[in-house]
Amino acid sequence: MFYRRVAALAATAAIITGACSTAAPSGGGGGATGCTIGFSWNNYTEERWAKWDEPAVKAAIAAGGGTYISNDAKSSEATQATNVENLIAQGAKVLVILAQNGTAIKPSVTKAVSEGIPVIAYDRLIEDPGVLYATFDNVEVGRMEAREIFKAKPKGNYVIIKGNKADANADFLRGGMEEIIGAAVKSGDIKIVGETYTDDWKPALAQTEMEQFLTANNNKVDAVLSENDGMAGGVIAALKAQGLAGKVPVSGQDGDAAALNNVALGNQTVDVWKDARLLGKAAGEAAIALCKDKDVKKVANTVQFDSPGKNKLTSILLKPQPITKDNLNVVLDAGWITKDKLCQGVTAGSVPACA
Amino acid sequence: MTEASAAERPQRSIGQRLRDPFQRVRGAAPSLEVDTRLLGMLAALAVIWIGFNVMSGGLFLTARNLWNLSVQTSVVAVMATGMVLIIVSRNIDLSVGSILGFTGYLMAMLQAIWIPTTFGLGFDQPYTWIVSLAIGLVVGAAIGGFQGFIIAFGRVPSFIVTLGGLLVWRGLIFELAQGQTIAPMDKTFSLLGGGPSGAIGAIPSWIFGLAACAGVIWSLWAGRRRRRKYDFPLRPMWAEVTLALGSSALILGAVWVANSYPWPPSLATQYAESHGITEPPGGLQIPTGIAIPVLIMLGVTIVMTFIATRRRFGRYVFAIGGNPEAAELGGINTKRTIMLTYVLMGALCAIAGAIQAARLNAGVTSAGVQSELDTIAAAVIGGTSFAGGIGTIPGAVLGAVIMQSLRSGMVILRVDSPIQDIVVGTVLVTAVGLDALFRRRTA
Repeated sequence: MFYRRVAALAATAAIITGACSTAAPSGGGGGATGCTIGFSWNNYTEERWAKWDEPAVKAAIAAGGGTYISNDAKSSEATQATNVENLIAQGAKVLVILAQNGTAIKPSVTKAVSEGIPVIAYDRLIEDPGVLYATFDNVEVGRMEAREIFKAKPKGNYVIIKGNKADANADFLRGGMEEIIGAAVKSGDIKIVGETYTDDWKPALAQTEMEQFLTANNNKVDAVLSENDGMAGGVIAALKAQGLAGKVPVSGQDGDAAALNNVALGNQTVDVWKDARLLGKAAGEAAIALCKDKDVKKVANTVQFDSPGKNKLTSILLKPQPITKDNLNVVLDAGWITKDKLCQGVTAGSVPACA
Repeated sequence: MTEASAAERPQRSIGQRLRDPFQRVRGAAPSLEVDTRLLGMLAALAVIWIGFNVMSGGLFLTARNLWNLSVQTSVVAVMATGMVLIIVSRNIDLSVGSILGFTGYLMAMLQAIWIPTTFGLGFDQPYTWIVSLAIGLVVGAAIGGFQGFIIAFGRVPSFIVTLGGLLVWRGLIFELAQGQTIAPMDKTFSLLGGGPSGAIGAIPSWIFGLAACAGVIWSLWAGRRRRRKYDFPLRPMWAEVTLALGSSALILGAVWVANSYPWPPSLATQYAESHGITEPPGGLQIPTGIAIPVLIMLGVTIVMTFIATRRRFGRYVFAIGGNPEAAELGGINTKRTIMLTYVLMGALCAIAGAIQAARLNAGVTSAGVQSELDTIAAAVIGGTSFAGGIGTIPGAVLGAVIMQSLRSGMVILRVDSPIQDIVVGTVLVTAVGLDALFRRRTA
């Protein structure tokens, strides 16, 4: 009995170590001459990081003569804190952190900064005045979404489908929208007939919400500001059931293949696209710059960003790109989506990019 | 419990009857032999509906909103019917949301990518929807059977196995297509999700309603004949007639509501144009009728009720839940029975996944997140007891309707989602708490 238990334990331990040694996408040891840059991913299984971000970061670092090392926190705050220490122990001179939790990672970041290791907060905010914050300008995303919808429907009944309440981005986006439509709301040209947060940005929930708003307003909805593509898909399904798809403008962001197809079909008005490769490249180049000079304020193309936590953060705020029916060729040319997928079901000749 | 008594009292076990406080109510109710708990839930539902109707200024009790509500309920209701059997046999299934997500995503991949592109057979083939659905069902049943095998034969607690499943199947969704949204669905397949073209129209709805009435009357008559055969006390004739009339009125009323929701004007206009009909002033009025997902839900409810109350398998499940040791000693193959409940649950998750994907017209990674909680809550609000051995399928469906009524009513009243969660959570605990209190008081 005892031996069986020991054998089982040993087998379990072997499985766990085996899994760990294959899971982390490591990039080899420190180079002899180059600067070592450590990247702490929060969760490598998400499509975006592996497919678009990491290759761009790697390429930018390689081009600058640096060495890339990385590990994966598997969505755990505690693991990420350990991972950051590991990267420092492996000789990382600059850290790039995609935070699982911007608050929980702060002690590790503060420690690294005080030891003279510059930190780049990748895509997600870390409230520490010493870090370089690299992201897409989320307030601008909200402005872009509202701008296109406002252009299509300057007056009328608006529904606003917001993302997860616990996610600061939902409020950044809403803030950007307010800058565009605020005046018209005040003057009464725009009436907000429905506005809600959506748990976990769930498309199916957004669909139910939209159905209820349509019912409550007897279909008198003229435009929908949806904060992302997934929820826009739910909204469009609800509109389709009422025969309103393509007649009511809908916004979104992320450049999802299904959403871009909806833009081509005319069901979605605008899809704000954030090319993850640009962010990866910018962060990689900034890391190389920080190898040479540790002062984050001297990194090129930065601005001062007033964070919600009242910090002034040196930031790289990349400009997203609004995609409408007229400039779909941008995503095609960038190799973001194939023409088959983009143009599935599109009537020939109705969209220039699908011609 | 013998087969005969099971047939006589289809809905409840003996233990429940002994504990059921409402059995002591004097007057006419006992001779109707209607589950008083079910009546209590109908009353609660009526209070909720009327309350929302008043607060929303008459928006809630419109044909359109009730039609929406019926479609929105179908996903959770389908899974709740299976969850009843799982909980009755003193187990739990936390993985249903993830199985829904996985099978739904798999079916989406099949019809949007694999069949048309990978195998090069093209989009919207006549067989696409049925092949996707069949594969989804088989995979769902297999997943359920796999988990059930570990639970029943491996003797690993169901909480642990299905907690593992919750993580594994959700994780596998990402492995299938790195988290992309898969759209659009096959045209025939998307009918499974409803929408005016996914409803059966006025005349078939009436036919369906009349058939349902005939079924109710036939089952009352058959029950009476069976009782006479075994020398059981009969219901008074007036009670039989009241039951027949009452159920028929409910069924035909529901059909009437579904038929008084006309097609949305812009769809009706499109239809008129494509069929060369000149629209009359005020627009063409096409009755929508019962939605296909609702038909699926009703079909599942009837089949599951039949399995639970009239089949040996179903009675075994209740017997195991009432007393597992006695059931095993009594010669029931408990392991096989438990495993089968999970096979059934997995297949039901796949049906729910198909409805969900069809309704959204897309396969998304977040489909079914947290719906295990809604499903368990629906079963429990519907009177299923965690102590095992007690629970009814129609009760669970009604529980799902109550949950969805609360949610969609609050959206109409523009209550934000965190507050919605607070209300639904409070209602869940209050409902089960009150139920337990009454049982203790009167036991």
